[in-house]
Amino acid sequence: MQPCSREMQALNSLLNQQDLQNGQQQISNTHQIHQSHFDPTSSHDDFLDQMLSSLPPSSWPDLPFASNPIGSLAAGHKLQDLSDQFDDQSQSALLVSKLRQHQISGGGAVAGNSPAAAKAFLLQQQLLLSRGLSAGGLRSPTGAGDSGILQMPLSLGTGEGFDGSQNNVVDGSSFKSPNLGGEGSVEALYNGFSGSLHGTGQASSQAQHFHHPQVQNFGAPATAMNQAPPASGSAEGGAPSQPRQRVRARRGQATDPHSIAERLRRERIAERMKALQELVPNANKTDKASMLDEIIDYVKFLQLQVKVLSMSRLGGAAAVAPLVADMSSEGSGDCLQGNGGRSCNAAQTASSSNDTMTVTEHQVAKLMEEDMGSAMQYLQGKGLCLMPISLATAISTATCHSRNTIATNPLLGSNGEGGPSSPSMSVLTVQSATMGNGSGDASVKDATSVSKP
Amino acid sequence: MTLHQHLPSNPRSIKTRFAIRFLQTLKRLNKNRPISSSLREIHGRYRIVKLAADASMASVVGSRRVWSRALLWKIRNRALRCNSMKRKRIHALRVRRRGGGGHPTRESGFGQANDLRKLVPGGEVMDICSLLDETADYIKCLTTQVQVMRNIADLYTS
Repeated sequence: MQPCSREMQALNSLLNQQDLQNGQQQISNTHQIHQSHFDPTSSHDDFLDQMLSSLPPSSWPDLPFASNPIGSLAAGHKLQDLSDQFDDQSQSALLVSKLRQHQISGGGAVAGNSPAAAKAFLLQQQLLLSRGLSAGGLRSPTGAGDSGILQMPLSLGTGEGFDGSQNNVVDGSSFKSPNLGGEGSVEALYNGFSGSLHGTGQASSQAQHFHHPQVQNFGAPATAMNQAPPASGSAEGGAPSQPRQRVRARRGQATDPHSIAERLRRERIAERMKALQELVPNANKTDKASMLDEIIDYVKFLQLQVKVLSMSRLGGAAAVAPLVADMSSEGSGDCLQGNGGRSCNAAQTASSSNDTMTVTEHQVAKLMEEDMGSAMQYLQGKGLCLMPISLATAISTATCHSRNTIATNPLLGSNGEGGPSSPSMSVLTVQSATMGNGSGDASVKDATSVSKP
Repeated sequence: MTLHQHLPSNPRSIKTRFAIRFLQTLKRLNKNRPISSSLREIHGRYRIVKLAADASMASVVGSRRVWSRALLWKIRNRALRCNSMKRKRIHALRVRRRGGGGHPTRESGFGQANDLRKLVPGGEVMDICSLLDETADYIKCLTTQVQVMRNIADLYTS
């Protein structure tokens, strides 16, 4: 049964796809789409439209899937590939579109190569039945088989007439099956198959025999199909899948509930991280750990900003003294480093004079000879910064004219230290305006000047 | 300088609501306490202002978020502590709470989550998923807080 093995795989995958698709509601629209896209080229199409219109939307998941390998073998493989590739949602949408095409083309294909297709179809049905029988649950596999088989005559019927072909034999037998129900239907199908397999000669007589029941049974099979597919839909989760796994997972994913929960949790975390990435600037990191670091730093920075702003509201620069320890220890890489120290010195500036400045300058000069790093640290501890003379003079002249916050902006660029809120800055800039001139004279020789920002 | 010329485009946004509440709190504060420039007093005022900012932020957000609830709870406890001098009991409570809260750290990839928990108020008892959610909301509120405070500061000093 070599040629059947591939078909069996296709059938297996499709039937399992049925399990997956049963829970989804997205195929409800296929009903309308199918109808709209179906071009009634002949009376047979009218029959089909009748059948299809009477079907409830929930039956769609079963019918199209099972019909496709029967319509054309290539379609089955295609569907298998498709189903493996796509998600559930996109899968259903794509499959719906594919199924429509296959449905329409299936009739044509069958019409084109009817003998071969019919034979392949019969073999597949046999496989279905044998599998269903072996599963032990006759009701639901027949339901599956019924749904599959029922759809086949519909698709086959579109291609050709209901008389004078092998297909009609199957049509008749399958239409008979829902009426017989249960095991009787299976046996009837078997009889029908064996009869049809024997040759086309008997087909015509049987076709006539079944033609009338077909016409009469259109009403009944419609209702039977209504009942069977939902039943099969619900039961297929049970009977055929009891020997197998409950849900056939996609490729590369586990199916036990723990891993599903894990997967959900991971997805949820991933989407939260994405949302955070948008909030936090410099969010170009793809690594989760570095992203978390970034987030932590940003939260610290924001809290610090709130602290500083609340302090400046009072003009209470001295209150920032406890922050200095935080500042130097924290690596919060943004602009507020040394700010606390600076505003800490604001209280001193009210009473300080040039003496402290020169003392500081000498000390800094001494330190600079030994080690730049320690000099910088000393300066930072005092809340001072190094800046080029040109900048210092520019700032002092600017602050002389206006005490506005505009003056703070050039200071933002100085040595990467940002500006705090304006009240403390305005106080300091006034001081620096007076001090700047003095320090400018004193340190003309140096390339840089020590100045209070 | 009045704020009427800066009509907000969205009067119900968090920003405007926070701004309104914060300004009201500040007005109340300024009325009650005299302006002084001693070190200790300034530090005290800083803390009060920060408290006012946090409290107004949290009350604007309301009880919808874990962090706002935790913040409000902390503030109220602090008030209780200051008022009734029940320090011992509160300390015991805090210790017990820390021990009982637990640190649900499950995945190794989120080792830094512990730092985040300390930053975000009320973060100790949450799992990673909700922690990230709370962090996002907290960041949003902090940015609005900073913006509003900065605007107020600019307004009142220029």
